[in-house]
Amino acid sequence: MPPPESVVPSPAMATPQPASPAIPLTVSLGRLRLPNPIMVASGTFGYGREMSGFVDLARLGGVVPKTITPLPRPGNTPWRTVETAAGLLNSIGLDNDGIDSFLARQLPFLVRCGAPVIVSIAGGSQADFVALASRLDGVPGIAALELNISCPNVSHGIDMGTDPVACRGVVEGVRSVTALPILAKLTPNVTSIVEIARAAKDGGADAVTLINTCQGMAVDWRRRRPLLGNVIGGLSGPAIKPIALRCVHQVRQAVDIPIVGVGGIMTIDDCMEFFVTGASAVQIGTANFAEPIASARLLDGLPAALAELGATGMADVIGTLAVPQRAPCPPATPPSGSSPHAT
Amino acid sequence: MSAGTSSTVGEQPAGQPCYADAASYSPARIVAHTKIADNTWRLRLDCPAIASTAIPGQFAMVRIPHRSDPLLARPLAVYDTFADASGEAGEAPLRRYADFIYAVHGRFTTALREVPVGHELIAWGPLGNGFQIPAVEHLVLVAGGIGQTALLGLGRERLGQAAYGPASRLQPPRSGRVTCCWGARHAGLFGGIEDYRSAGIDVHQATLDGSAGLRGTVVDLLDSLFDQPGAVPPAAHTRRLHIACCGPDPMMAAVARWAAARQISCDVSLEAPMACGIGICFTCVARVRDDSGSWDYRRTCIEGPVFDATRIEW
Ligand SMILES: Cc1cc2nc3c(=O)[nH]c(=O)nc-3n(C[C@H](O)[C@H](O)[C@H](O)COP(=O)(O)OP(=O)(O)OC[C@H]3O[C@@H](n4cnc5c(N)ncnc54)[C@H](O)[C@@H]3O)c2cc1C
Ligand SMILES: Cc1cc2nc3c(=O)[nH]c(=O)nc-3n(C[C@H](O)[C@H](O)[C@H](O)COP(=O)(O)O)c2cc1C
Ligand code: FES
Repeated sequence: MPPPESVVPSPAMATPQPASPAIPLTVSLGRLRLPNPIMVASGTFGYGREMSGFVDLARLGGVVPKTITPLPRPGNTPWRTVETAAGLLNSIGLDNDGIDSFLARQLPFLVRCGAPVIVSIAGGSQADFVALASRLDGVPGIAALELNISCPNVSHGIDMGTDPVACRGVVEGVRSVTALPILAKLTPNVTSIVEIARAAKDGGADAVTLINTCQGMAVDWRRRRPLLGNVIGGLSGPAIKPIALRCVHQVRQAVDIPIVGVGGIMTIDDCMEFFVTGASAVQIGTANFAEPIASARLLDGLPAALAELGATGMADVIGTLAVPQRAPCPPATPPSGSSPHAT
Repeated sequence: MSAGTSSTVGEQPAGQPCYADAASYSPARIVAHTKIADNTWRLRLDCPAIASTAIPGQFAMVRIPHRSDPLLARPLAVYDTFADASGEAGEAPLRRYADFIYAVHGRFTTALREVPVGHELIAWGPLGNGFQIPAVEHLVLVAGGIGQTALLGLGRERLGQAAYGPASRLQPPRSGRVTCCWGARHAGLFGGIEDYRSAGIDVHQATLDGSAGLRGTVVDLLDSLFDQPGAVPPAAHTRRLHIACCGPDPMMAAVARWAAARQISCDVSLEAPMACGIGICFTCVARVRDDSGSWDYRRTCIEGPVFDATRIEW
């Protein structure tokens, strides 16, 4: 259960609070510099315009609008979301009007909003990603690209997020057509997230965004049917925070690449856990639904949390987790005669 | 925040998103919380920003704080608004309390029922486009189950008994009739029916088990009221009648078909499940037709929830 600070909302729009002796909040994700580490996650903030009555977008560390694809996609059949214990299952299916509409109708507002705009793209093939990236390269006002190679709701995306060779290929392809910083957003639905993160780095990614949703399902047993129109969807919200932290930890320990942490962040404590574990920035997702002012509130709480650790900047916090050396397990020597099934 | 590029609440052109620019987000104290019918509760919240501007058909997202289960807010239609906690209506801009009526159903409503007077909820709104006040002579409100919550205010406005929202909201001439056709499973589920009656709305009930009013559905009720010999002749329906409807999807689809067959204009307030209520999640979509007749999934929270029924691909 979130501590009380998560539920004391600022009235109307959250207003900036006087920071304790201004601790600089800037962070770098490879070549991408952000004014602060509080971003909002793709698919959970619309195209920004929807949120401008709740959050002063100019304050955010970065805005990642909903993923766009080369052509319009109607998205999946409802039901598209189902609330579960401390979580939300979704199978939206990348409902979007395609890149042309995005450039004409959504990007102009985003560019004026004052926050770095990280455009999230997805396609069914490497060629789609490359085509999208080359269209976006040179468009004024875009700070970086986030490659959504991890959406569980379209069959092709998940393949690129689960196969290191395909992942590396997509990132390399995009790298070859744009000078924009690249964030590769990865799925946790893999055996080794480290392997995929390494492939993204080798392909030339500036950072990895960890994680997209965890595959899940909900069932109405009385009617003997799945609740989601798409049967299977992606789980988000507080329920997945431990999984996201684990992924950040594993990648931080094994691959030298900046990490953006995402998954179940609702409170400033959640943010700090991600920073200490190794995330240079975080993205706020499902929390925006439960509390539209969440991102601004977390930003307000950040200076005090940093001060509590005596930090003079984000660098004093990021990846400072003290990891105990794990003692090797003693070899199992079952007493003679014990059942082979004993644990 | 002041309305940005979107037009006045409830008056945006069809197909244009009605962004939540004028919505407020704030704690809302419970000042009354009572059971009013089987499984049905009435909740009064101290929420001036919502109460002073909401129009009938708009909704608020209501969340129980300090909880991750249920995690999300739920949309609830603004049922009525008051200047005084005891239920004095007062002038619209001075209203500070909003009433909501809910049926206990699942995760959220089961938990909400237990939250006592004096506690705070979180609410954001008013949201969505709301109903236009029809200028026709005879307004027919068609409610299915808890769908009635979106309709009372519109009936009152049409009878010139109340004004909601901005002063600019168009008021029709006061003469006119309002009929309510209300269907529910059984007689115990008509929470709020006295409000309809005391507003001078002619209420007709239908129940599936026959325990109140006509045995059958609201469509049976519409047939019995308007298609019987001696009732208003069908040819005259087109200009004189307008239907405003809210309830479960299959019921709204049936009412929409009934209205279309008689060329009666019909607005429906969709009740698609919502996760955010403000256009950021793409949960609440319905198939909405454009002028060319082809449909696309549109977000009902910011493009509705009220739609011309002929636009919906059911
Ligand atoms: C604009 C609008 C206004 C509304 N106004 C009112 C009102 O005034 N009063 C009122 O009581 N309710 C109203 N509702 C419905 C309300 O928002 C809740 O859905 C309802 O109260 C049930 O919530 P719950 O958490 O108790 O039930 P839940 O636990 O959410 O479950 C409710 C039922 O819906 C089903 N369900 C769950 N998830 C989905 C999904 N994704 N898609 C479809 N069905 C699903 C479940 O199987 C269950 O049978 C309104 C809805 C909208 C969109
Ligand atoms: C309704 C919904 C839609 C989403 N759409 C996208 C999307 O279009 N692109 C994407 O990269 N991630 C998408 N995500 C994943 C989120 O960006 C985020 O990675 C995930 O929800 C975990 O974070 P959270 O627990 O804070 O929500 C979506 C998540 C939700 C809940
Ligand atoms: S409920 Fe989230 S977009 Fe409508």
